[in-house]
Amino acid sequence: MNNAHPGLPEFDYIKPATLAEASQFLVQHENESRPFMGGTDIIVRMRDGFWKDKYLVEVKHLEGMTSIHFDPVKGLTIGAATSMNNVAAHPDIQRYYPLLAEAANSVASYQLRNRATVVGNICNASPAGDTTGASMVLGGVLSVHGAGGLRTEPLTTFFLGPGKTVLKPGDIVTAITFPIPPKGWAGKYIKLGRNALSDLSIVGVTVLGYPDAATKSGYRFHIVLASVAPVPFVAAAAEAVLAEKTISDDVLDAAAAAAMDGCKPIDDVRSSARYRKLMVRNLTRKALDEVWTKIK
Amino acid sequence: MSKIKHMIGKSIEKPDARDKVTGQALYPGDINLPGQAYMKVLFAERPHAIIQDIDISKAVKLPGVIAVLTAKDVPVNEYGLIMNDQPVLCGPGSKKPFAERVRFIGDQVALIIAESESLTEQAKKMINVEYQDLPVISDAREAKNDHGKLVHPDRESNVFCHYQIRKGDLEKGLHEADVIIEGEYITPVQEHAFLQPEAGIAYIDEEDRVTIMVAGQWTHEDQEQIAHSLDLPPDKIRVIYPAIGGAFGGREDMSVQIDLALAAWHLMKMGIHKPVKTIWSREESIIGHHKRHPYFVKTRWGATHEGKITAAEVELVTDGGAYAYTSTKVMGNATLMCTGPYEIPNVKVDSYAVYTNNIPNGAFRGFGGPQGAFVAECQVNKLAEAINMDPVEIRMRNLLREGSLLSVDTPMPKGVTIDKVVHKCAEKAGWKNTDKGWQAPAISKKNTDIIKHGIGFACSYKNVGFSFGAPESCTAKVELHGKDTIEHAILYHSGADVGQGAHTIFIQFMAELLNLPLEKIHLIASDTARTGQSGSASASRITFMAGNSIVGAVNNALKKWINNERPAIAEYEFRPPKTTPFDPQTGKCQPNFSYGYVAQVVDLEVDTQTGKIKLDKVICVDDVGKAVNPLLVRGQIEGATVQAQGYALMENFIQKEGRTYTPTLSTYLIPTILDIPEQINSIILEEADPIGPLGARGMGEMPFLPFTPAVVAAVHAATGIWFDEFPLTPERVISKLHEKG
Ligand SMILES: Cc1cc2nc3c(=O)[nH]c(=O)nc-3n(C[C@H](O)[C@H](O)[C@H](O)COP(=O)(O)OP(=O)(O)OC[C@H]3O[C@@H](n4cnc5c(N)ncnc54)[C@H](O)[C@@H]3O)c2cc1C
Repeated sequence: MNNAHPGLPEFDYIKPATLAEASQFLVQHENESRPFMGGTDIIVRMRDGFWKDKYLVEVKHLEGMTSIHFDPVKGLTIGAATSMNNVAAHPDIQRYYPLLAEAANSVASYQLRNRATVVGNICNASPAGDTTGASMVLGGVLSVHGAGGLRTEPLTTFFLGPGKTVLKPGDIVTAITFPIPPKGWAGKYIKLGRNALSDLSIVGVTVLGYPDAATKSGYRFHIVLASVAPVPFVAAAAEAVLAEKTISDDVLDAAAAAAMDGCKPIDDVRSSARYRKLMVRNLTRKALDEVWTKIK
Repeated sequence: MSKIKHMIGKSIEKPDARDKVTGQALYPGDINLPGQAYMKVLFAERPHAIIQDIDISKAVKLPGVIAVLTAKDVPVNEYGLIMNDQPVLCGPGSKKPFAERVRFIGDQVALIIAESESLTEQAKKMINVEYQDLPVISDAREAKNDHGKLVHPDRESNVFCHYQIRKGDLEKGLHEADVIIEGEYITPVQEHAFLQPEAGIAYIDEEDRVTIMVAGQWTHEDQEQIAHSLDLPPDKIRVIYPAIGGAFGGREDMSVQIDLALAAWHLMKMGIHKPVKTIWSREESIIGHHKRHPYFVKTRWGATHEGKITAAEVELVTDGGAYAYTSTKVMGNATLMCTGPYEIPNVKVDSYAVYTNNIPNGAFRGFGGPQGAFVAECQVNKLAEAINMDPVEIRMRNLLREGSLLSVDTPMPKGVTIDKVVHKCAEKAGWKNTDKGWQAPAISKKNTDIIKHGIGFACSYKNVGFSFGAPESCTAKVELHGKDTIEHAILYHSGADVGQGAHTIFIQFMAELLNLPLEKIHLIASDTARTGQSGSASASRITFMAGNSIVGAVNNALKKWINNERPAIAEYEFRPPKTTPFDPQTGKCQPNFSYGYVAQVVDLEVDTQTGKIKLDKVICVDDVGKAVNPLLVRGQIEGATVQAQGYALMENFIQKEGRTYTPTLSTYLIPTILDIPEQINSIILEEADPIGPLGARGMGEMPFLPFTPAVVAAVHAATGIWFDEFPLTPERVISKLHEKG
């Protein structure tokens, strides 16, 4: 039997003193090193022989990487290395960004969430990532330290394909920031897995809605779907339906159907494409209903 | 003697519990011996092929590689629990006809023994095997009738076992019926997923015995099969079980046992005295050991408006996979149990076990009972619906009772309590026994557009001990030490503690019978060099059989004690009443000597938008005769229920063309702590078995049996849909709901 878990190869663990040093090292060792945070993707991928990095570059200890800061005007900043449990438990996040806490809590087990990070989830760029959708609909922007200094990357243009992002060698995400959410908003994340603990999503639906005078319907919705496309999928057609038509049960139905029609999921051992599509419709409808009840 | 304490009926803590929880207990994979070598198996990883050539020349030259063994190195290249139809190693060079064929992906081709584990891996990749692929036979129903494509070319047919039952007059019975329910059912494969994958270590002991420490279910059967393959007398083989990390039937057949023994023996012949260790990965475990049999069933049952079942006809086809394993025995049970715990005057059953190139199927908790129970209980529930009768009421009108004739035309052994079990379970779930008969409770939970509630009922019986004429006995040896009074006692027993707590039970029996505190009982267990033949830890038999053997040995030892023998040493071999095999024409036989009885009610909700089923409550009433340790009984009920939940709802083993698509625990999911029922209400009945030790019956398998049909009945109550195939994955539920519209 080909060993599905050949085991961890040997690698060096690098602990740079500064971000600059870390970026420099990552540039010098392009294709054989990567930033190391919770390691909950890295260790598994390396053990299974998919990743063969020679160096893992520790970045959790660098300045600001684990702080959470909320400013009533500027919004929220979460240090990249903050564990999901710390995100979900933070009072400001529970109060002002409960959707993010909900998404973080949907990830695997408590033990895993002690290590796993939201930023790691995003950088890993799996279409099944459970916190990606919430981060996107809340307008998340990454702060990136690269070889050329600091810059920001909005999540809307961050994902290029499964495991692929706009990050370049030397780039280290130091934080994720969120603006103050729109007035009167509500959000919902629904994850459908085969079991209640630790399975990846068959489908994940994130919905955020709020009153918006600029649309015909008077409301705006953001909808992101997990596990139905190579990258987190923005259900633009459904969003458009909800912006343009006066909201009613029929319009919510139509939006859910538009979400379903817009995505092209695949078959795998967890689910058929057909079931995924149906679940996109049913769960989008359910999430819309919950959000709509709160914001109307 | 005055009683210190009653030890039977007490929930004492397992003596090994703390060590297991704190990681101190040593499982086979934890045991290391100085200078040990490592062994890896080269699996075929193709479902059907002829091996033209195996080139090991490169691998053996790798420094650190000690030996690479192939078919020609196995003295008698065959084994099997029931029939010797499986090569130890597939490939050319042995005397076994057609041993150069591989018949499933987990067939073993070579054993690599080296100084380190990574070297075995490296050497494995250097072995070159030339295969000529053959067409894959993967559908048992097709293979049954196809005599051109054979899995075993030395046989005339892929069907390797057929039973039939002819009781009464089927046509007459169907004619008497007011309604006839026809059904076609398919039951799935299930993986045991025990915590500890196969592992072990082998060495030559101080008496030159080839010794293996391994996890199994039956030391002496392991010993016998190893001895056969190595062409050595059994007493030259020693099998020892340390802590065992679960079994569920999955360790009943050989996995690493013969390999390990062969390796240690081969090194000895090379003049190398090195222990040999092996640990399988989870993926190797999943392809390397057998699974629960899938069954393909066609059936029709008739009943009168008064609820009397007049006839049952069942055809069972089961996929044995590449080798027989225990298929013939499993199918015996299914053949008996597919007509349920009911007295039916006219019965016709035909069953067929068929070879394919799938992973072999074999023993798994319930041993054909769950498949049989699924058919019988679904049929009875459908009959009840068809005649508009309560499902408990129809059962009460047909259940086996004291003296009832089974489908195999012999009376039930004494101590039939299925009616009491059904009565209790119905009552606990809110049924009322009115003057119009039993009536189900109204469902109190409100349905919404999306969430639908339902409850379902099912009941089952399951044999205790080996069936159908299989030799059945169990030996215990007891030593009593002391001067005037017995100061301590030693029990020698092979019975395997696979995690169920058998050894705790043994000690409780000893303490009770000798009126000694627990700490004065010493157990020497599961070592063929020291302990006698016990039979396997399977068939819900170990409490019953070992208990009886201990009672006998203690009585014999006490007689010697009274005669002033010091220490007083006595052995006893317990033999239960004889069973007999199916008559080839009529099926008439005395199938079993004891049964356990169980009934369940499942209360669940179906999310009609996702197809997800949530279990709110399970009530399980189980007659165990005497609960020697009530906590362990509850553990078995809860464990069986959750394992059955996986079977019914979640566990989806995918094989196509002989290949497995779920070889990991991230693709093959089992229930987690967050998935299990909100509530499992275990109710223990204690109606003594007339021949059980202090009244005890077996119980480890029983609660598994009624679960799936009870779930199916509850889902039907919730949605109006009968599911004749499972697991009820959300996807399957949704597609049926859509069909219905
Ligand atoms: C048992 C188990 C269950 C799981 N269940 C779920 C689940 O339910 N839902 C889910 O979404 N995921 C799940 N995962 C996947 C994983 O836990 C998450 O993706 C997690 O969020 C990854 O975070 P991390 O901090 O551990 O990332 P790491 O493993 O440390 O890193 C992941 C990737 O991101 C890169 N990276 C990390 N940090 C940075 C940074 N600061 N700058 C640039 N690149 C960076 C790394 O180099 C690496 O390529 C599970 C994993 C396991 C082992």
